[in-house]
Amino acid sequence: MTKDQFLSALRTHLTGVPTAAADDIVADYASHFDEGLAAGRREEDIAAALGDPARLARELRAQAGLKRWEEERSPSAAAGAILAILSIGAIDLLILLPMLMVAVSLIFALACVAAAFAIAGVFMLLFSPIAILHGHLAQGVLAGLGFLSGGTAMGCLSALASIGLVNFLIRYGRFHLRLIKPITA
Amino acid sequence: MAESIPVQLKKGVLELCVLALLSKGDGYAYDIASQLAEGIDMAEGTIYPLMRRLQDEGLVATYLAESPSGPPRKYYRLTETGRASLQSQKAEWSAFARAVNAILGEG
Repeated sequence: MTKDQFLSALRTHLTGVPTAAADDIVADYASHFDEGLAAGRREEDIAAALGDPARLARELRAQAGLKRWEEERSPSAAAGAILAILSIGAIDLLILLPMLMVAVSLIFALACVAAAFAIAGVFMLLFSPIAILHGHLAQGVLAGLGFLSGGTAMGCLSALASIGLVNFLIRYGRFHLRLIKPITA
Repeated sequence: MAESIPVQLKKGVLELCVLALLSKGDGYAYDIASQLAEGIDMAEGTIYPLMRRLQDEGLVATYLAESPSGPPRKYYRLTETGRASLQSQKAEWSAFARAVNAILGEG
């Protein structure tokens, strides 16, 4: 593999990494080639000693994904980080997937119950004027408020649980990123 | 799988080795990579993801300096945080190595 082939393969596999960071990475490897050539090595030998550009790019992409999640904390950053970690095989899907399914369905169930409570609360508040006819206005309003706040609390709880789950996955990925098998030349 | 244990051990101590090299003086990635490739058998390319991570974590900082040949080089230097991290990792490594050696010595 020549210098140009290595650098263009690296660039191709760095898709998803912000352009400025990708430029920086490619420049680092380009200067590595220049140093090697100045030391009298052949382009092919330098490329071979560097390792597989696709493999290196995957690791760099996973790292960039983790960094973005730490800076942004947005759902798309979370999805990107998890995908990138999966791509380096840091998370053993067979072991993790069943656990993940249980956790995700629990959180989803909690969110559904929260929504049901909130909707019930809103309806109770809306229909509480009708309760006046029976002389139970306070009861209707209070029950409505109670359901609404209960629903909100559960909604917050499920949001917290989702954030916790993403953080756990990323911590797991980060730990493995340090220990995964490096490329042997 | 038998081979993967030494490989994982190497990757685990790579960070410690880079921090230790930089504690002796600032360096540029090509030089660090060739020193490590000589001692520990690893792909030279792995140094760049590692250097970026160390930089993100604030353990090293970079600056540009003239090189005798060609364009300016990107040099890495250890920050105060990096120095502290090196000390604690070094202590952990020594304790671990002593414990393993003690067990191996009994066999």
